[in-house]
Amino acid sequence: MRVLVTTQQGQLLEVRVNADDAAGTEATATESETASAPNPIAPEGKELIWGAGSFLVFLVLMRVYLFPKLKKGMDARYTSIREDFEQADATRQAAQSDVAKYEAALADVRAEAAGRIDAARQTVDAERNAKIAETNSKIAAKRAAADAELAAARAKVRDQVAEAVSTVTARTTQLAVGKSPDGSVVREAVQQVMQSGAR
Amino acid sequence: MEALTRIARAGIRVAELTAAEEKANSAAQMAGLAYGLAAIGPGVGIGIIFGKAIESMARQPESAGMVRTTMFLGVAFTEALALIGFVAFILLKFA
Amino acid sequence: MISTQLAQMASARVNSILVQATEGESTRGFHFPPINTLLRWKDITPGINKVVLISIAAALIGTALFLIAANRDHKTAPKGARNLAEIAVEFIEKNIIMETMGRSGLGWTPFLLTMFIFIYICNVPGIIPFIQMPATARMGIPAFMALLVWVVYNATGIKNQGPIGYFKNVLFPPGVPKALYILVTPIEFISTLVVRPFSLAVRLFANMLAGHLLLVIFALLSEALIQAETQRIFLIPIGVLPFGVLMFLTAFEILVAFLQAYIFTTLTAVYLGMATHPEH
Repeated sequence: MRVLVTTQQGQLLEVRVNADDAAGTEATATESETASAPNPIAPEGKELIWGAGSFLVFLVLMRVYLFPKLKKGMDARYTSIREDFEQADATRQAAQSDVAKYEAALADVRAEAAGRIDAARQTVDAERNAKIAETNSKIAAKRAAADAELAAARAKVRDQVAEAVSTVTARTTQLAVGKSPDGSVVREAVQQVMQSGAR
Repeated sequence: MEALTRIARAGIRVAELTAAEEKANSAAQMAGLAYGLAAIGPGVGIGIIFGKAIESMARQPESAGMVRTTMFLGVAFTEALALIGFVAFILLKFA
Repeated sequence: MISTQLAQMASARVNSILVQATEGESTRGFHFPPINTLLRWKDITPGINKVVLISIAAALIGTALFLIAANRDHKTAPKGARNLAEIAVEFIEKNIIMETMGRSGLGWTPFLLTMFIFIYICNVPGIIPFIQMPATARMGIPAFMALLVWVVYNATGIKNQGPIGYFKNVLFPPGVPKALYILVTPIEFISTLVVRPFSLAVRLFANMLAGHLLLVIFALLSEALIQAETQRIFLIPIGVLPFGVLMFLTAFEILVAFLQAYIFTTLTAVYLGMATHPEH
């Protein structure tokens, strides 16, 4: 068993007491703990006074000098940052209006160009259509002339053939019957046969 | 010789302390009980505060900052009871 | 801490037992030292002990931090000391004042900032190796701070609402049925004028004291186990456990040191806000 005791001089002295059944139990005690010791919760005068003093000095320094200076710096920086932002905003808006102006001009130019192209295309189309129509009419005229020539030639040939056939028919009839048929009747019959043969 | 005197005095002092020690001992036991009792209520209370705070933060994460400040205030008020118990413990044990 | 049995035994046998002074400290077994040896410090020079030194150092460190910060170039992005100081200022403004008092409370920033920094630097030595004593684990600083807060918020209330108006608002809160004033007035009187400063001081003090004692207990326990003289094979590995807990608690005390400074400052802000604008 071990006991911590205080001597009359106030020193801590540790004694070991050998008891027969002291099974290694330990105990410590100081006289000061139970009797005259200040309560561990009670504030100690010097700690209170020094703590209060240092806090108050710190508070006064902060309030009078340190904090206002720091805060002024912070405010100045924040104001300058805000101003920078505002300036940047203004610049951005100016740039945006410039861009808008440029785009409007560009759109004007584009519209004008498109109009001109349309006009040119229309004139070209009109000219082409006129030329095509002219050519077509020329071709048609030529074709009509050729058709007429062809028809005339065909009619002429047919007349000649009919003449020849009617002559031959009249001759043959005269030889077969012995009587010369009326020329107009023969011609009409030949015409009829040729018409039906052509059909 | 001086050492012997000191040791003898120490022994006598141990004998003298007995009654006071007995009182201090029972006070120490009461102190432990006092602190144990004082810790029950605030323990439950702080649990409830944190639980509710977590619930409301999960429900409305956008109000988490306000909830946290209020939660710490509530914890501080509740905890004060347990701490008064702790102080009572020290007062009983050492005063 | 002598058990009754032990004391009786000692008194009965004090004449017959062999008394033997030991040479040096025995490391065997776990014994908790008297609480005052953990809390009361010897004077280094008359009137100055460790706690006093810590509180002076807290004021000096705070002053030095803000002195360096205030004299740095304020136009560029803040770094180092200035950054730290500005973070502290913005923390006080955004997380404490704006949340409790609103915009009108911003004039209290220097007071609350100083309070926060001072309490925090007084708390933190509890976990700094070789110092290991939170100055707020002694009642002096918390008691003074709570008293100061009490004076300040009462003065603010009287200044803002007039002495009659203030005490009328405190003692006879509007919106309460008249008959209930018999009950409400004593409660309000005690809670506003007595319990507030008391709980403010005790909360800070007891939190730091409890943390300090916890660290002491686990440090002593791991020391006793690791330096055990018998059954070393078993006891030394077991000693790792309280050491791990000690490490965890040290980390936890970092949080507590901050949290207690924050709570003290926040409650001060709440009380000041209530004294400025009576809402209830």
